Amino acid sequence: MGKKKIVPLGPYHPLLEEPEFFKLYCDGEIVKDIVWETGYNHRGIEKICQTKTFEQVFYVVERICGICSTSHPFAYANAVESIPGVEIPLRAKYIRSIVGELERIHSHLLWVGLAGHFLGYNTVFMWAWKYREPILDMFEIITGNRNSYAMFTIGGVRRDISDEKANQLKKVLEDFLPKLDLLVGAVMDDPVLHARLKNVGTLTAEDIHDFGAVGPTARASGVDIDIRRDDPYAAYDLVDWNVIIAQAGDVFAKAEVRLLEMYESAKIIQQCIEALKKDNNDEIKVKVKDIPPGTGIGRAEAPRGEVFHYVKSDGGNSPVRHKIRAPSYTCIPTFRRSCVGGTISDAAICTAAVDPCYCCTERMAQVYDHSTGKKIMNAAELIKLSQAKTRELRKKVKL
Amino acid sequence: MDIEKFNEDIKAKFPSIKTIEVINIKRLMIYIPRELLLKIADHLFNELGMRYIIVTAMDSKEGFEIIYHFSDDSSGWIINLNVIIPREKPEIESLTPVIYGVEWIEREIMDILGIKFLDHPKPERFIFAESWPECEYPYRRDYKQEKE
Repeated sequence: MGKKKIVPLGPYHPLLEEPEFFKLYCDGEIVKDIVWETGYNHRGIEKICQTKTFEQVFYVVERICGICSTSHPFAYANAVESIPGVEIPLRAKYIRSIVGELERIHSHLLWVGLAGHFLGYNTVFMWAWKYREPILDMFEIITGNRNSYAMFTIGGVRRDISDEKANQLKKVLEDFLPKLDLLVGAVMDDPVLHARLKNVGTLTAEDIHDFGAVGPTARASGVDIDIRRDDPYAAYDLVDWNVIIAQAGDVFAKAEVRLLEMYESAKIIQQCIEALKKDNNDEIKVKVKDIPPGTGIGRAEAPRGEVFHYVKSDGGNSPVRHKIRAPSYTCIPTFRRSCVGGTISDAAICTAAVDPCYCCTERMAQVYDHSTGKKIMNAAELIKLSQAKTRELRKKVKL
Repeated sequence: MDIEKFNEDIKAKFPSIKTIEVINIKRLMIYIPRELLLKIADHLFNELGMRYIIVTAMDSKEGFEIIYHFSDDSSGWIINLNVIIPREKPEIESLTPVIYGVEWIEREIMDILGIKFLDHPKPERFIFAESWPECEYPYRRDYKQEKE
């Protein structure tokens, strides 16, 4: 038995948008337990929302997460519109779906790229981020911004997508799909990635049920849930698409689900564009005068899983209670099952596998000797350790 | 899931349910007394295999209102369990022994509203720093925010 050591990942580390702190209790190389601490960046958004009008809340919830800045307005719109029972115009439904799916593509590309980087496979990182750029440019053309799109409003959307822009979007997707084939090939056929990601951080369907995990994390373990199909909103029940499921539950399965989901997103956008072109009605929103007293529960499938919003109105201008549940809230605790029993070098990719929000650019992880408190490893060395494992495996499979 | 059959079954199984109300399309609210919580949550989560979503707690006129949200993914229904506990004695049984994933949100509710969850395995602070003053709960109605 080696000495038990604590490996702190955090409070600022590059896997997560908000600073979080993981303590890995290790026996030699093996992770025995993982403890999570948070609160470093609590912004009190639920409390802030109670002081804003229903309309203003859109701009607050949009800033919960920089990467999926449409998912929260999407779920919030579903929640608020369900209180008076508003039916939004068809054109707004298609536009909402287009923005939502474009966001899924860019978010999944971002994850694939970063996952490649953590494993020391920088070609994937370069490719994925290069192909993500035209998608972000498209966002700028459609919404006016590469991020925080401000497209949603109560009763519809704020901007229309003209035929000209729709054609541009179609062209971007046509250019993107062959590149996606290339990227999927690079990941799925690579023997090193197979060796590095298969049977790593495996989660069973029971683990998923215990923690209430959602999104690609759940679907990679064979749990067939997708809010877009199960509780349809916007235009998802008007177009033809499939839910992607994998059975293995390991990190490779999660990568597979995300990669293949991008094809489905492209399929949805293409159908929505065609529908927009055929639709001659210019109406993109309906006027909603007041929000009556009542309770609204809305959800949306973000790139990382189900986003849940609970809104209570007393008939006034602002919500009296606004509860928000982001998908990472139930996905992050699964680390207790996925990381424990694995090695330290796998912990980085296991924690990255559920796609917790990435934003912070600094990594402050250090390894301390538990008995002396002396620092023996810093952040750069930890990444090196993960990349060295990939190199070893690469030698083994003779690449 | 056939919602009418579900309503009948659950009323027959748990006669002490106060009321069941459809609050919106595919949204059901079940008002239950505190004593029933563990049993009915166990029934929904383990026997019917519903997915736990989250817990919402708020300070309402009647007292502290705690809503447990469950999702039936085969039908898209959200089943909500609504428990009201008195403001004078803010405590309730922890659901963590039944549903492992509830641990974090119960600790968060302890921080923001000061509700005590009995038998919680780790009743420590979750989102607030150690320096946050004791007995100050920002989501209570009587909380006064200091103006800068």
